[in-house]
Amino acid sequence: MSVILAIAFIFCIIAGRFFWLQVVSGGQLTLRAADQWNREIPVIASRGAIYDRNGAVLAGNKNTYSVFVRPAAVEDKEYLATVLSGIFGLDKSEVYSDISKSGVSEVTVAKHASENEIQQLISYDFSGVYYSRDNTRVYTYGDALCQVLGFTSTDGSGISGLEKYYNELLSGKNGEILYATDIVGVERENAAVVYSPAEDGASLFLTIDAEIQLAAEQAMRNVYVSSGAKSVSCVVLDPQNFEVLAMVNYPSYNLNDVPRDDMQTLNSLSRNKAVVDIYEPGSTFKVITAAADLEEYLRGNTAAFSPEYVFNSSRTRSVDGTTIKCWSDHKNGKHSNQTLAQALNNSCNPCFTDIALALGTDTFYDYLSAFGFGNVTGIDFSGEAVGMLLPQSLVRNCDLARIGFGQTVAVTQLQLACAVAAAVNGGNYYVPRIAGGIVSADGTKQQFASVLKNKVISEEASELLAKMLEGVVTEGSGKNAYIEGYKVGGKTGTAQKYEDGRIASGKYVSSFVGFFPSDEPRYLALITVDEPQGTYYGSAVAAPVAKEIFEDIIAIKNISPFC
Amino acid sequence: MKTINVRAVARGKGDIPLLVCVCAMVVFGCVMIYSASSYVGEVQYGDSLYFVKKQILGAVAGGAVMAFFCIFPYRKLEKFRYAALIVSAALLALVFVPGIGVTNYGATRWIGFGSFTIQPSEIAKYAYALFAAAYFAKNPHKVKTVKGVLPVLGAGALLCVLVILEPNMSITMCIGILMLALIFLSGTNLKTFAFILIPCALAVPALIIAEPYRLKRLSAFLDPWSSPLGEGYQLIQSLYALGNGGMFGVGLFNSTQKYRFLPFAESDFILSVMGEELGFVGLMLFFAACAFIVWRGLKIARRCNERFGYLLAAGFTLVYGIQVVVNALVVSGTIPPTGLPLPLISSGNTSLIITMASMGVLFNISRSCPPSPYAGTARRKSSVNNKNSRAV
Repeated sequence: MSVILAIAFIFCIIAGRFFWLQVVSGGQLTLRAADQWNREIPVIASRGAIYDRNGAVLAGNKNTYSVFVRPAAVEDKEYLATVLSGIFGLDKSEVYSDISKSGVSEVTVAKHASENEIQQLISYDFSGVYYSRDNTRVYTYGDALCQVLGFTSTDGSGISGLEKYYNELLSGKNGEILYATDIVGVERENAAVVYSPAEDGASLFLTIDAEIQLAAEQAMRNVYVSSGAKSVSCVVLDPQNFEVLAMVNYPSYNLNDVPRDDMQTLNSLSRNKAVVDIYEPGSTFKVITAAADLEEYLRGNTAAFSPEYVFNSSRTRSVDGTTIKCWSDHKNGKHSNQTLAQALNNSCNPCFTDIALALGTDTFYDYLSAFGFGNVTGIDFSGEAVGMLLPQSLVRNCDLARIGFGQTVAVTQLQLACAVAAAVNGGNYYVPRIAGGIVSADGTKQQFASVLKNKVISEEASELLAKMLEGVVTEGSGKNAYIEGYKVGGKTGTAQKYEDGRIASGKYVSSFVGFFPSDEPRYLALITVDEPQGTYYGSAVAAPVAKEIFEDIIAIKNISPFC
Repeated sequence: MKTINVRAVARGKGDIPLLVCVCAMVVFGCVMIYSASSYVGEVQYGDSLYFVKKQILGAVAGGAVMAFFCIFPYRKLEKFRYAALIVSAALLALVFVPGIGVTNYGATRWIGFGSFTIQPSEIAKYAYALFAAAYFAKNPHKVKTVKGVLPVLGAGALLCVLVILEPNMSITMCIGILMLALIFLSGTNLKTFAFILIPCALAVPALIIAEPYRLKRLSAFLDPWSSPLGEGYQLIQSLYALGNGGMFGVGLFNSTQKYRFLPFAESDFILSVMGEELGFVGLMLFFAACAFIVWRGLKIARRCNERFGYLLAAGFTLVYGIQVVVNALVVSGTIPPTGLPLPLISSGNTSLIITMASMGVLFNISRSCPPSPYAGTARRKSSVNNKNSRAV
């Protein structure tokens, strides 16, 4: 009896221990063990395409493949290295040393291999060699829109531009193929292969119009060459909703052949300057000053000037003991007895000094803030710059006087384009957008709604201003943008560049902001030419580019004149 | 021979259930070895049946030896007590002769003749049980004094030293436990027993400290996850196998751990593979079968009315039982890993043949000793067994 008890006692101890291990801890142990039982081959999700607003493909994918080798499962490494280096154009000794590594479960031998290369590989039927689809991004237009679209890493994840901003949406979710293997990664026979499919990424629709973009690219390339500028940029907006129709920064680079080896060049070429860089706008900023004056006048502010008011013809203004001069010498009757419209036509600085000072810091800053200065526009793009606006409490009159005509203030081109668009579209400031909507992998389409941010000025003031800016093009400094039969409005700008806090002689930013039709603007373009050589007036350098782009738009959209 | 048979039949049929159980276990062992080793065999030797073939060979040889000892009168074994001891010691010593000793996994535990290797320590366990049984049977009164026990102690110490030099800690432990158990079973007094027990208990930590690798194994046992790729690896793999088995197992031949994750899957750690494929329930059935063998063995000992037969049956049964328990405890991570086969199951012919031979002897004792009340001894025996179980 006691023998049986003794045996039962030992049996129970052992049974208890095994029960604990197998039944109680079993799940947990199995979970830990599962890690070593399977090797996975990734199934790369197809990256979503990027389309323009009309469905033209801007960024798509080519079916390519990654090739993996599991060293432990390879029979003849020497031979495999020879074949692989032959098919994929690799260095044989390098391939050999890669696939001879010990302690790694798998080695990636080739990425972005073509279908043809994979067919060749399959014909050999090697053991231990695997391939899976990866993505090779293909950009239809090469360098067009390159800073906006951005590029992806060789692994296919977005690292700049929209590719980065919308990476999560575009990239989808990778799947994997699980192979049961033995300890060194040799696939087990008859073992189940678990396939978890990839979830393809959603596609993106931009507000960009590829045709307008290409026309703008062409025009900007031309002015870049002809002006000898350091760089040129252009933003084309729909003023009715602030959808970006085109955005050009030149020089650019080819998205299909990204200069990855030269980081410095790539960094400078891939900057979307129109959004992330700031500059002193100069006279184009007078549009905002004029808008503020007109609105205040209409609201009955007695300090504001009426459209009929005739400004003092003197070339200079003395503020806080400093003298502010007009760029023009005011000789021979130039810039004399100007109304606001004429001041805009001539781009006469003292008139706008008068306006800024008359409105005063508080009122003027209210308008600057309403027009989006001192803040980001909120566009769907990473790294947008805020600009530089003196804090209201620190503004002296001499600063305010200069801000009136676009100095002592720095903005992004997008900020200025949006501000002008709001000034002439009836006074509505929207959040600018590049992406128009998404199409998810299952085909459902989602349109992004435009968001009205705030009202800047009244419809009436806006109408008056647009009329005046039309005058700038018909009879003022913007003549070079005039198109017979189309109501083009606009404003030129020529700003001296500062370097190290000092005016850099001979360095200018020439710009022109134009829009048409002026009574109900559909297209607005801001052209910026940084450091043109020789002729540097915005009227001469930038205005003709706007005209070129508008003419192209008219041709593309088949817009009839006189309507 | 015929006379012996007739006499045996006249004296009793013998313990047939024991033999059936042993044979079933050997067959089951072959199946498990096939399952555990077919992949390794294929990869390492190009033959998925490599280990099974060896085992079947061993099983046939073991069957023959077992059959022989079933009919060979066990009393005649008494005469071989010195021979067995000397031969074992000599074989153990041979391990250290260069060219004959075979080193594997850092231990020299085998002697080889061509592709044929034997593990002398497996034989030594049984030889020692035989020697101790015979000595105490011949000198019943010497048991009471330390001086009288000395020859048994000396022989045990000699074997232990030779085995531990290989090194093979686990078989040393087996012999040590066996030695204590046999001395106790022989009916010594408590004073003498304590006098022997204390130095033995002290020897264990000393031996652990003597070899750094044992300390490493011990720490790996205490926390295997601290060195999952080093010392703790084997234990972790064993636990993975058991865990994967769960309550009912993944099914015969379906082990995942046998794909070279678990080292010694076909030998020392075959219990892990059994646990994975047959689950907790399967293992419990297996342990029940083991317990059955131990129970039958101890029953045979108790029923034997003759001192040598009683001690020999108890000794052989204990050798088997201790090995099963130690192996189960190692595999479940309850005691530090040691290289000890699961008798009758694990791949390894020396162990298989000698264990089957011992089972043959047990059968012969069961046949030769008719049931007779031997109350005093019987009671003593069970209490000893109880103590022994706690020690384990």
